[in-house]
Amino acid sequence: MAAIKLKNIVKSFGDTAVVKGIDLSIEDGEFVVLVGPSGCGKSTTLRMIAGLEQATSGDIVIGDRVVNDIEPQHRNIAMVFQNYALYPHKSVKENIIFALRRLKVENDDIERRLTEVSEMLQLEELLERKPADLSGGQRQRVAMGRAIIREADLFLFDEPLSNLDSKLRSHMRTEIGKIHNKFGRTSVYVTHDQVEAMTLADKVVVLHDGYIAQAGTPMEVYLNPANVFVAQFIGSPSMNIIEGRLFNDHLQIGNYRLPRKQLSNVALQGVINEQGLPVKVGIRPDFFNDSRLFPETDGTFNFNQLQIDLIEPMGFDKEILFNLAGGAVKARLDLRSDFQRGDYVDLIVELSRVLLFDNETDLRL
Amino acid sequence: MTPLERAEARFGWKLVAPTIVILGLLILYPLMYNVYLSFFDVQLNGSKTFVGLENYIKLLSNADYYSAIATTSLYLLGTVVGTTLLGLAMALLLRDPFMGRGLVNAAIMLPYVAPVISVVFGWQFLFDPISGVVNYLLVDLLGLWSERSNLIGDPDSALWVVVLFDIWKHAPIAYLLILSKLVSISRDQYEAAAIDGYGPVGRFFHVTLPELYFVLATVVLLRLIWNLNRFEDVYLLAPNVETLPIFTYYQAFTGVIDQGLAAATSVIQLGVLSIFIWFYIKKIMKW
Ligand SMILES: Nc1ncnc2c1ncn2[C@@H]1O[C@H](COP(=O)(O)OP(=O)(O)OP(=O)(O)O)[C@@H](O)[C@H]1O
Ligand SMILES: [Mg+2]
Repeated sequence: MAAIKLKNIVKSFGDTAVVKGIDLSIEDGEFVVLVGPSGCGKSTTLRMIAGLEQATSGDIVIGDRVVNDIEPQHRNIAMVFQNYALYPHKSVKENIIFALRRLKVENDDIERRLTEVSEMLQLEELLERKPADLSGGQRQRVAMGRAIIREADLFLFDEPLSNLDSKLRSHMRTEIGKIHNKFGRTSVYVTHDQVEAMTLADKVVVLHDGYIAQAGTPMEVYLNPANVFVAQFIGSPSMNIIEGRLFNDHLQIGNYRLPRKQLSNVALQGVINEQGLPVKVGIRPDFFNDSRLFPETDGTFNFNQLQIDLIEPMGFDKEILFNLAGGAVKARLDLRSDFQRGDYVDLIVELSRVLLFDNETDLRL
Repeated sequence: MTPLERAEARFGWKLVAPTIVILGLLILYPLMYNVYLSFFDVQLNGSKTFVGLENYIKLLSNADYYSAIATTSLYLLGTVVGTTLLGLAMALLLRDPFMGRGLVNAAIMLPYVAPVISVVFGWQFLFDPISGVVNYLLVDLLGLWSERSNLIGDPDSALWVVVLFDIWKHAPIAYLLILSKLVSISRDQYEAAAIDGYGPVGRFFHVTLPELYFVLATVVLLRLIWNLNRFEDVYLLAPNVETLPIFTYYQAFTGVIDQGLAAATSVIQLGVLSIFIWFYIKKIMKW
């Protein structure tokens, strides 16, 4: 097991900088989830930690070694590749235990671990097959098995569940969580799945275009996003960003005036002139509540008489769309709220959940 | 077969039919004629007397025949192993792109494309006991032997010269075949093996070799077939090295000319070769 430090890591392919200076500390035993849009450099970062890619500049420290010049085979890392990278000539079983063979692990021990892993991954029936005879999801599970059968210092997962059906995925997610709780191995996990990020992570790192947009606990990045990008990237459906205007004593959104003093989280202290300050207002769809079900208090604000443009029922939840301050805004309510399209609703929001962002820099105010 | 597949198969047969006819006339006819001849005593004037298996009996009781088989076996072993290993080594070395790889490739291919007659004279010159550079290097400079010798003149050493010549001349084709497969192996597997703790040697044995299995098997098979029938290289460079084709040639066209006996030699060779190739393709290439 090992702590990891990335010190100002830069990676360029030719002239294109892909990773543009990442600083990140990962504690021993920590489970870090890397998220970010496609092409933002997640796999590249992971591959640099593994040693498959050389950083253009910066240092990577694993445990107490600077590993910049250490070959992958000497880093004692297990990894699930985004494209699986199975050995086509080896059976599923041989694929999974290949690393153990190298370590000259006792046969009994190999068999025991293989049974455990193949049971967990539901691969028992497939052990003698070749990768070419497997479905995408089965291959992915083999890739997963090849990693978790090991006792490595560090585990790297590059979207390890992306190809599984939702049932298997949630089963595997739970299993990964269990393994982590049991063995406490340092892990870096790349995913596009919000649920995986929220449930598994000790720390979520949001990458954007080669930079770290924010790193923090799942709740921190969810409740306290540092900028508009993180606010919209984390959480599903994504946060509404509404045009607003901030005055000394209130926040104007369309015709609504939200009292300023209850808007917590607003660090901005300066005096604002009479025209007010244009801002971006962020409200998560989940933070709208049906006024008939939610008591109004000092700390809440009632957006009354909003006309529903669209209803998207999703089983227990439903998403409703309405117009607020000239933009389409989404709210998520549940079964209990029964509306038709065109109805008028009153939606209540806790003022402390309303986030303000700078219009120019997109940073939190 | 689905109807579509059947139609396609029919179309395929139509396409290859002309080739089959031509090949049949060009190969099958001489082949059958050869088998036919092997049961006759053939005179120079063309008259034939049926002798049954006499040619075969004569052949199998001829000590020279067995020595030709031994020579051929050594020749095959040396050339097949030599070209394959050399081709593999070159392919591994030149796998990653570098400045001037095209030039190096061209240089490597040169022996293969050069006309055999010209390079044979070059080699004979190199191995000349008086003025050849080989004797100069091995004897005068390195002192491996006490005196200069005619390496091509002595059939024992000439065999190894012929082997060396063939390796030099045909390693390029092995190189080319192996390289084309080598560059197509994806990086993933190497990366996975590195993560699994395997260094360059382990990766070679667990990733490269399995990937190269079929191309190596093909190279070996091709080299075996070619070299079992190889005539011109051996005959031109060192006619005293009696491999089977040369032995057959001497039987058929020199001294006491005996075409029936020569035909019998070819028939046995063909039979052995066919069985061998059949096994090889079934077991090694797993077709
Ligand atoms: N070998 C390479 N040469 C050139 N560019 C590369 C190379 N590898 C990756 N890139 C580029 O680097 C950027 C980041 O790639 P990376 O694979 O890290 O993205 P990612 O965040 O993992 O995306 P995804 O979520 O789609 O897997 C991409 O724009 C990609 O095109
Ligand atoms: Mg990726």
